Parts: sequence; structure tokens; C-alpha cells
Amino acid sequence: MAILGTALNAVGLIFLTHAVYSSHEHTATFAHTPLPLDITIELLVSILVLSAGIVVSSPQLKPIQWAKWGGKIAREGQQSEGKWTKEGEEILSEGDGFAFLGLDNGIGGDGEGRRGFWDVSGKRKEYAEWVKTGGKK
Amino acid sequence: MSTFEERELAINPIVVTSVQHNTQVVSNIRNLTASLFGVAAGTLGLESYPGFIFYLVGSFIVSALIFALRTDGKPGDYFHRPLGDLWGGDVFNGLSSFVLTWTLFYGLLRA
Repeated sequence: MAILGTALNAVGLIFLTHAVYSSHEHTATFAHTPLPLDITIELLVSILVLSAGIVVSSPQLKPIQWAKWGGKIAREGQQSEGKWTKEGEEILSEGDGFAFLGLDNGIGGDGEGRRGFWDVSGKRKEYAEWVKTGGKK
Repeated sequence: MSTFEERELAINPIVVTSVQHNTQVVSNIRNLTASLFGVAAGTLGLESYPGFIFYLVGSFIVSALIFALRTDGKPGDYFHRPLGDLWGGDVFNGLSSFVLTWTLFYGLLRA
């Protein structure tokens, strides 16, 4: 998809530049006449291609419902370029505004932070494996 | 907020970071395409209302592209209020960058 987006953007940019340059030449030669139809069509097609390219090369949206979001993580694993909090939420901003309080591990550092997503089926599988091996690990 | 909506949110909670991410993506797309439509409107030499109508039509096309390519036709999964957040989201934020490039290219090519 990344290649498709880049290709669409490149093609759209070339056509847009060409169309704008053509219309500049046209208005410089014949001032106060309407644009020829071919320049108009080229312009409209180029911005359509470019906006399609921008939409295609934008990052994927994320499901907002907790169940679907958690299900997606459980199925595909956490795949993201960003950082993750220990609650399993992605960090989008430049950091925690309250990090100076030092409460990342809960008050006193004994881990009472809020639990968000927890991969229950993953943990259950892990436990089944552990039981199968006779409880040794 | 009505009690019904509150109860609905308690049963099906919403992931705030995903909402933030989606809003950010949509507003990014809107800002980029708005200045693009300004280039087109200025080059076409549109004036007054036709220019603004051009922008509204272009934003609608971009919304349709997001609807088809990014949400797979199910905007309810990605936006809390699809009508306001997807179809109307950030349309008027892009208006200023649209007018900026519109006037710039109109001035470069026509004036």
C-alpha cells in the first residue's frame, strides 16, 4: 500500500505541476480568455489522484470500541511504531504530562497502575502450555 | 449526556487513544487536501461562491475516499459520531489554508 500511495502522489504531483504551468503559459499569452478544456481536465484529474494518494498513504485508522481494539491486538499482536504504556494503550503525545510525579508504577512503586487491555486468551494459552509441560519451566 | 448513552458507554467503552489517533489522521488529510484544492481553485480562476462550493465538493470527495479506503465502509468502528467526525470533521479548519493557496495561485496566474 505504501508503494501505491507514493506512486499516486508522484503521478498526481507531476500532472498538477504540468497543469498549473500550462495554465500560467495560457494566461500569459491570451489574457482574459477562459482556460482550455484539456488543462481543466488535467487539473481536476491530478487533484483527484493526489487526494487519493494522500488518503492511501495515511496511516490506518484504529477501532475505537474497546472489544474490537482488544480483539485486534490479541489476534495480530501489538504492531506499531509508537511506544506503549503498560496498560496497552499507545502513547501518541510527546510523553506523559504527569511523569514528574513518578507514579508510573503506582504509589510507592508497588505496581498499582490501572490495567487496560490484558490478553486473557494469550495468558490462558501460556498457562495451558505450562500445565502440559508438567508445571516445569 | 443521556443515561442511555452513559449506559451504552459503560457496556461498550471507547479507547481514547484510538479516537485521538483517528482524529489526527483525518485532520492531517484535511489540511493537506485543503491547500491542494486551493491550488486548483486558484488555477481555475474561480471567484466568490463557486470557489467555496468547489472546496465543499472536494472535501466531500475526500470524505468519501476516507470512507471507502480507510474505514472499509464501516465508519462506526472508527468514529464515535461518523456524521460529525468523518463527513464533517475538520472541514472548516481546512478553510483557511484553502483560502490561502486559492488567493496565492489566483494572484500568480491571473492578476
